[in-house]
Parts: sequence; structure tokens; C-alpha cells
Amino acid sequence: MEAFYLNIIHRPEMVPEYIQKEAEHGKKEDLTRRRVLQESLDIFRTQQRIAHANGLRTTIQMTYASLFNAEAVSIAREDHERYQDEISSTFLGLQCQEFRQQFKSRELAIWLFSMEDKRRIVDAVFGKFKEVFGFYPASTGSYYMDAELVGYIKEKYPMVKAAVATCWEEGPKAYWNANNSWYTIFDGGPWNPWIPSKRNIHCPASDEADDIGIVAIPHISRDLMAVFDGPGSYYGTHPQNILRGMVYEDHEIPYFYNLVDQYRAMAKYNRGYSYNMMYVGPGWMSKNGRWEADYETLLHSYQAGMEYYGTLKKEGKAKDVTMSEFADIYRAGRPYARPECFLWKDILYGSKRQHFWYADPWMRFCLDMNQGGAMIDLRPYAAKLERPVGVGTKNLQDASYPFLVQSLYRAGYFTHYAGEGAVKSCKFGYKGEEVDLCACRSHASWSEEGDVRIVTVDPVEIEFDGTTIRVQSIFRIREGSGEIEIVRRIVGTTDPKAEVSIDEYLTGCYGTTEYPEDLTGVRLTLEGAADTKSIEYAYQCREDQVEDVRRVEALVPQVETRLAMRADSGRAAGYFREGFAFSPMYTIGIKKTIRGKGELHTWLKVEKAA
Amino acid sequence: MAQGRKGRLNYRCPRCLMREIDMDMLYDRDKDEYYCLRCSFVGDEQEVLRLNAEFRDKYKDRTSRITDF
Repeated sequence: MEAFYLNIIHRPEMVPEYIQKEAEHGKKEDLTRRRVLQESLDIFRTQQRIAHANGLRTTIQMTYASLFNAEAVSIAREDHERYQDEISSTFLGLQCQEFRQQFKSRELAIWLFSMEDKRRIVDAVFGKFKEVFGFYPASTGSYYMDAELVGYIKEKYPMVKAAVATCWEEGPKAYWNANNSWYTIFDGGPWNPWIPSKRNIHCPASDEADDIGIVAIPHISRDLMAVFDGPGSYYGTHPQNILRGMVYEDHEIPYFYNLVDQYRAMAKYNRGYSYNMMYVGPGWMSKNGRWEADYETLLHSYQAGMEYYGTLKKEGKAKDVTMSEFADIYRAGRPYARPECFLWKDILYGSKRQHFWYADPWMRFCLDMNQGGAMIDLRPYAAKLERPVGVGTKNLQDASYPFLVQSLYRAGYFTHYAGEGAVKSCKFGYKGEEVDLCACRSHASWSEEGDVRIVTVDPVEIEFDGTTIRVQSIFRIREGSGEIEIVRRIVGTTDPKAEVSIDEYLTGCYGTTEYPEDLTGVRLTLEGAADTKSIEYAYQCREDQVEDVRRVEALVPQVETRLAMRADSGRAAGYFREGFAFSPMYTIGIKKTIRGKGELHTWLKVEKAA
Repeated sequence: MAQGRKGRLNYRCPRCLMREIDMDMLYDRDKDEYYCLRCSFVGDEQEVLRLNAEFRDKYKDRTSRITDF
């Protein structure tokens, strides 16, 4: 599957939120307002025309409302015959007069209905689709689809092989960005397509038995740095995003091309494969303009984006495929354990900062080279948490996959002068001084040796009173191991006799938002050669240590996860540190002292707790 | 005071935008000014455009074509 694959997805949404909101400003809601329906169809037709003019095929995701509109159905049929576009289905755009009469609900998000309603809606949408087109769709989607919903679809409609299943890092940040009124709260998934687990849509499947049966596609290919700390709707391969984020000048959008090219560069890290998707409805291309941009600017942005994709295709640098075609290509010969990874580079703020992103069936994590390679995000996919969402479930709107480390939501290195924040890093000490690698900016390079992916951080200089050392960090991840090997190596010193301590630590918590969760019951354990020590978290500031450590562990029952660290030599000590209510964190670590040059080798393993 | 209405191009509040909140403003025709329901911003179109330009300044690479990956 060596290529840059491109999915362009259009949906004839008959009553898009933005246009409807404008049309009804000062008027009562009317789902059959003629002006809105006609404008939406005109925009859909324009988007299709632009894609085809650039030699690109699309996937047409018919909304439920559009299945009742003869003109929308006719456009889809004609474009399928003429351009071989795929006619697909989506659960976005449910609301229309027919839906309202049938389900008596104003709910617009398929993932937020009760499971019983989800089943009824799936049957109604797929049934109508079959009635109109004579076949069931092979692909579907929404902004989010939980594993329970996809499981039902797959069981009843086994021909479905692909779905737009989540939006990357669209969690609390997206909610905040929308004045706390947009309930797409689903951080924690992969940024590129994956085969989901039966138990949680965010987690890549471990094996065939765990395979949910579809290829999941994230909504929009997003900026892996800007979106981690900003709204998802500002920085992605959707021209509207770029206009909304105002990342343009004089109507030109070089940022879009930079984003596409950075995604293309992922091929180097992922066995020659890379991917991009653009998934648009008509709402943002209103004749009235949107996001401070007039219609001409909106239109131009879409034309410019499609022209670039079209040029790449003409030059043989991109393959445009439909969603179900992509699913077949993706599955062919891809081992379940194969990770997706990339060293993302800032293309927005001029900082040269890099983030390394990694996802496999055991974990997703991010290393920040601005903080010497500190881990600033860790999601325990190995736990494969069952988290159905929607009415009648415990999580309701919170569809995010929990983190154990999230340095932006839970402080990280910098706290406001008290307590600790969630981060995994390393500290170096000499004669009472201590320096954390988080304070050492660097850059990294990536390489692979067989089935091992390697991130090598450029050495950083740490200056103590009396001696200066140069430290290099190396991260190695063997495919299928669920484990990260971390090497902290002193590669240079001004005093070969200086005794320097190396302290590899992880300060963690758990949760899905900025707000703390109760850590009561988290078990911290030390296994040394001579003894084992263990406590249950109770906010009592307890600390302990064992010499000759075998293993240190944090068992977090709330997210069914066991985090374990081990070292390569018996000369290291292991420790844990319990937090307190103003610092709701736990820390596990391994440390040792070396003279002159030397290294500390540790492994971090993420496992499901029984 | 006049009724607030949707203004041209649905201008968002530039002050809220600085903290990454998309908050559409209302327009007062009598005073020819926009105002925010959340943060108390008030200003005419020129002021909105000036602050929007300031918002863009954080994107140092917004006009750069980057091809080295």
C-alpha cells in the first residue's frame, strides 16, 4: 500500500447548522425552508464540480434528509455513473421533517442517542438508503461513533467496511472553542486511519478477534501540534478550518499545502504509506460568507485545496480513492501490531518545535522535543476500556479515551509553584542541584531497525555548579511489545569523576478533562531484590524506595491499567511518591548514580489490569 | 437602545478569539458597532479588522510555503 491516499468526502446536508441559523435569525425554526434547501444543494453541486474538474473522485455521504430529496439523489446517481464516485451514507444531517416525525427528537448527534434509539436510527437510515439506491452503503460515518454503535452496524449490515469514526483531539478544547456549546468531546484517538477494537473505537485492534470489522477514518487530517493545544476546527485539511483559524493572508492558504505535504511525509515513517482526507458539508460555503470571509474567499479556498490535490494526482504523487476502496487497500497485508508514528514539525508558529506521535494497539503517546523529549500525552490503549456513550450510559457526552499523562490538561513540568504536573521525563542531579530535561529544548531524528522504531534526541547540555554534562535520550519501541525502552546517556562531561544522579520518572493521573479525578485506590508498588512495598493512594504524601529495583508500578483501577517501569541493572533504586489533594498525582521512578559517563536504561510498559 | 442583529460576515468577537473562543457578535445598526455578549468587547468594523490582524500575527509561518519535511 505504498502511496499517498486521498479520500474526498462530500455530504449533501440539507439543513446545515450555519446556514439554518442565519436563515432563521429572528424567525422560527423551519426545517423545510426552501432557501436553505436550495442553497445547500447548490453548494454540494459546486463542491462536486470542483473536485471533478481537478480529476478527483469523491465519496458522497448521503444524509438522511438528502435521501428524501429527489435532486440530491439524482446528483449522487449521476456522479456515481459518470465519475465512479462512491455513494455512501452518513449519520450527520439527520434532522429533517421526516426524522422529526419519526423519532420525535431534536438530537443531532448519533453517538448521543440511547443504544435503543441508535439501533432504530441505523435501521431507518440504512433502510431508506436501500429503498432509494437499491443497495446498502459500504461506508458510513459521523463525527463520532462508539464501538457499540459500529458493532451493531457491522452485525446487521456486514457490507460496511469503513466509517468516519472520530475527530482527532476534538475534546474539551473544541467545547471551549465553541462557547461551551458543541458536544464533540472525543480526545484520545489515532490521527490517521486504523482498525478499531471491538471494545473501544479509539483503540487500534490487537488481533483478528478484537477487530471490529471496519477501517476507521478520523474526520479531517489535522495539525498534530497546533490541534494538541488549540481548537481542532482551526488547523486541518478543510479550507473552512484554515479560514476559521485565520491562517491565511490575502486569500492565499499556503498553510493548507504545508499540512498536506507534512502528511505526505508520513510515508517515510510508515512503510511508504500516508493518507489525507477532506470531509466537507455545505454549511461553511454560504453565499453570506462565514468566519469573516466572503463567499468568493470561501469558494477560492476550496478551489485552491482541490487544485493542489489534483496537481499531486496528475504528478503521480497522490491516489484518490473512495472510502470503501481505501478500506480494502488499508487492510491488505497490514499486521495489527504495526504502529503509526511521525515526527511532526511546527508549520505555524515559526518555532522549529517537534512532537513525536506514536500509536499502536497498546498505547498512544507524544514526546515533546521542546522539553527534551518529555512524554506529554499517554493513552493506555492496552486497557481497551469499554466506554459506550449517549443517553443511558455513564459517560453520556464524554467520549474521550482517558489519558494517564496529559501535560496541557494537567500542568506538566510547569505548575503554579506548588505540586506536580503530569509528565514523563528525567532529572539529573549533582551536589544538591537538579535539572529536569523538560527545561532542555532539543530536536530529534527518527530511524528504524527491523521492527524497532527509534527516536534519537539531539544531546543537550546541562550546566551544574562545578561540572557540565551532555545528555542524549533515545526511545526505542519494538513492534508488538507494548513497551518503550528509554536510554538516558551522559555522552560528555567536564569532570570524569563527577557523581551524577539520573532519575527517570513518570508523574501521572488519569482522566479525560482538565479537572482532577479521584485517585483513591490507585496502587503504587515497588519490587526490589529483597522486598516489595505497596500502598493504596489516599492523598497522604507518602514516599518509599527500594534498592536493587526489579519493577515499579502504578495500578490505576479506574482505567483498568497497569503502568510498569523496569531497569537494566540491579544497581538502580525504585521509588514511588503519593500526592496530596492540591497535587493529585502519583509518581513512579527509577534512579541511579553514575561517575563520569554512563547511562540509565529503563522500560515503560502499558498493560491491561485484570 | 436598538435590537442587536447578525452583522456582516458574522464577525466573531476579536477579544474572545484571542483566547480561542468563537463567539459571534451582534451588530447595533444605530451606533454602527459590534458588541460581544460574553466579554464586553465593543467596536466598529475597523476595530474588529485591526484586532483580527493582530490575532494572525502569532502565525509566523502563515505566508510561508514549507516543503522540507
